[in-house]
Amino acid sequence: MVKVFIYPATSLILSDMVARFGHTPLSSAIAIRERIQTAGLESPPLQITPEEPKKGLKWAAVEVPAGVRGRMSLYGPMIEAAEAAIIINDADLAFGCMGCARTNELIKFLVHQKDIPKLELNYPKNEDEGVKFVAAIKRFLTGLGAAK
Amino acid sequence: MTGYTPTHVGSVTKYVMVESFEITPADLASRGYEISKGVMIKETCFGLVINGKEEEVDRIVAELRKIDPDHIFVKDRGFPPGDARRCRANLGGARPGYNGLEFEMSILPYISHGLEVLDKKDEKSVPPPEDPLEHPLLDIHKLKKLIDAQES
Amino acid sequence: MTQPVRIAQLSCGPEYSGIQHEIDEAAREVGGEIFFPDVALKDIRRDFDKFGLDVRSPDLKLAIARAIALVEGRVEADAVFIATCFRCAEAAIVRNELRRYINEHSRLPVVSYSFTERTTSGTLLTRMEALTTIARRRALLARETQKGLTLGLDSGSATTKAVVMRDNKIIGTGWQPTTEVLKSANEVIAHALAEAGVTRDEIQAVGTTGYGRFLVGKEINADLIQEELTVNSKGAVYLAGRQHGPATVIDIGGMDNKAISVMDGIPGVFTMGGICAGASGRFLEMTAKRLGVEITELGPLSMKGMGGRVPMNSYCIVFGTQSLVNALAAGSTREDVAAAACHSVAEQVYEQQLQEVDIKEPVIMVGGTSLIEGLVFAMGELLQTKIVVPPYSQYIGAVGSALLASGFIKDD
Repeated sequence: MVKVFIYPATSLILSDMVARFGHTPLSSAIAIRERIQTAGLESPPLQITPEEPKKGLKWAAVEVPAGVRGRMSLYGPMIEAAEAAIIINDADLAFGCMGCARTNELIKFLVHQKDIPKLELNYPKNEDEGVKFVAAIKRFLTGLGAAK
Repeated sequence: MTGYTPTHVGSVTKYVMVESFEITPADLASRGYEISKGVMIKETCFGLVINGKEEEVDRIVAELRKIDPDHIFVKDRGFPPGDARRCRANLGGARPGYNGLEFEMSILPYISHGLEVLDKKDEKSVPPPEDPLEHPLLDIHKLKKLIDAQES
Repeated sequence: MTQPVRIAQLSCGPEYSGIQHEIDEAAREVGGEIFFPDVALKDIRRDFDKFGLDVRSPDLKLAIARAIALVEGRVEADAVFIATCFRCAEAAIVRNELRRYINEHSRLPVVSYSFTERTTSGTLLTRMEALTTIARRRALLARETQKGLTLGLDSGSATTKAVVMRDNKIIGTGWQPTTEVLKSANEVIAHALAEAGVTRDEIQAVGTTGYGRFLVGKEINADLIQEELTVNSKGAVYLAGRQHGPATVIDIGGMDNKAISVMDGIPGVFTMGGICAGASGRFLEMTAKRLGVEITELGPLSMKGMGGRVPMNSYCIVFGTQSLVNALAAGSTREDVAAAACHSVAEQVYEQQLQEVDIKEPVIMVGGTSLIEGLVFAMGELLQTKIVVPPYSQYIGAVGSALLASGFIKDD
């Protein structure tokens, strides 16, 4: 099982594909779950406290907005742990955890910097593209299994 | 600031969504209840939310997928089912993530179609999709338009 | 139990900056309730295109769609709170445009705020209170004349002021620097009562505002305890005789500054700045002290000088004062230094607060600092308009409180 970072990290489709073809998806839900299941100071709704933007300083400097740094405290460790990545490039309507374009640019950059197997795609826009999309992901994920 | 004591520690939550004309979320739910063995299953308009120990949830998910593998999709969720912090009733509106999910739900029919085709066909025989990082070559019709525009 | 005031939140980032609960908390403390307008994906796509501001961040697209849903009445709200990350340019543009759009197309009061991870509910409290006040007390804020015998008290961070009013006239005033909040309040009240020639028992209604409003209000059993944003706007248009139509109120206070865009005496959009003391009355006080003059003499002194002759490169109260000291040491005149200090404060308020509201004439300056002519002059130069400073402008909060408190007089 390979840890596959998915972008958008909130994606149902990628999360499903990665698990379906035998690997572990690294998604926003995992990072949020970790926070809401850990005791600490109360900070609803996501249990992201003002400490998180400070932890985010590891990936973005202090003049970068707090929301970017807070999000990076979720994604930074996950990108570091990733052994492969699937990126959908035209994910313009992923809100919430993926709601900040500046964070998203940084996430993509950090993933690109990493020497791991990557697959880059666009969302399919019709059935034919759907077949190519699923086939590409299946090939990629099956290949990962063989490599490990 | 007050202290925070988490609930559902050590559990996982997963969404099981169904994109099908043949199976309804209710069908999925009734099968889910049959095999739940006490694991929490909550029915929603698009499928189920299941919470419990990881092995238990995975077992149920695997069983449910069998009903219609090409039309059932699964995703992790950070919050346990019905958590007030994410509940539409408490927030006045859907949490932002919901609109993202709404978007991907509109793509699911293409994914289901892809899965169905690949049940019968080797994925290696399918040509790769367009590389999103490569800029497409100039379309011949667009080139003609540009030439015409220059000449006039 | 009254229904909470429904405050629609349009935002990007607070949940991820760890401050969403601070926003919720501030709203709850003043009887408000934060909610997120519900929109569907098709609404987001359509309304984002319709609005025409092509931003990249999905959560800003969502904020735009939510704003349109509010303006078009598809989602009901009493007030709007717009919050985005401090230092995000994309979000700042959206924040400004949404604030303007909502203000122009609806009657919903709007406050916008750019937060950091250090933002607390305390910082947001006065703003939230103003939102709930406007939503809840529109009838009270519509009052245009003072009646009966009322007392207004403004317990500010730097000074405490009181006025006694009778039948639409100010008949007594009291003013002193704030030391102990209650002691200062009691002393200015005693002074105002003595000047008016009335006793406390004769007063028919009392209103308090300013930082110490809750403490003093409780102590003196006030009928009205209200934040200074709505009270000062009301006081400003009342004293300036501009109760109808638009107006802009600027109040440079001891600790923070307020810029309020008013329509018919009711704030529509407002901002409060309080991060840097270099943009406050406190800086002018320090300047006066350094120049060896009373604060009352700083205005006339600065009018004789040319601020441009003194280099002022810092907005910080410490470094700003340092610049002034250096200028004096280098031979600058006291007049030029006084003028430079006034210009520096005006410029900072102009750059930081006034960009967040739409300036509509008349521009009314109130509060103690409005008596410093050099500051009013510098602001007029920056805004290219003649600034109105109404009579009793230093008592603005107290006058606004006395005016509004008369709404609480029981009719016999």
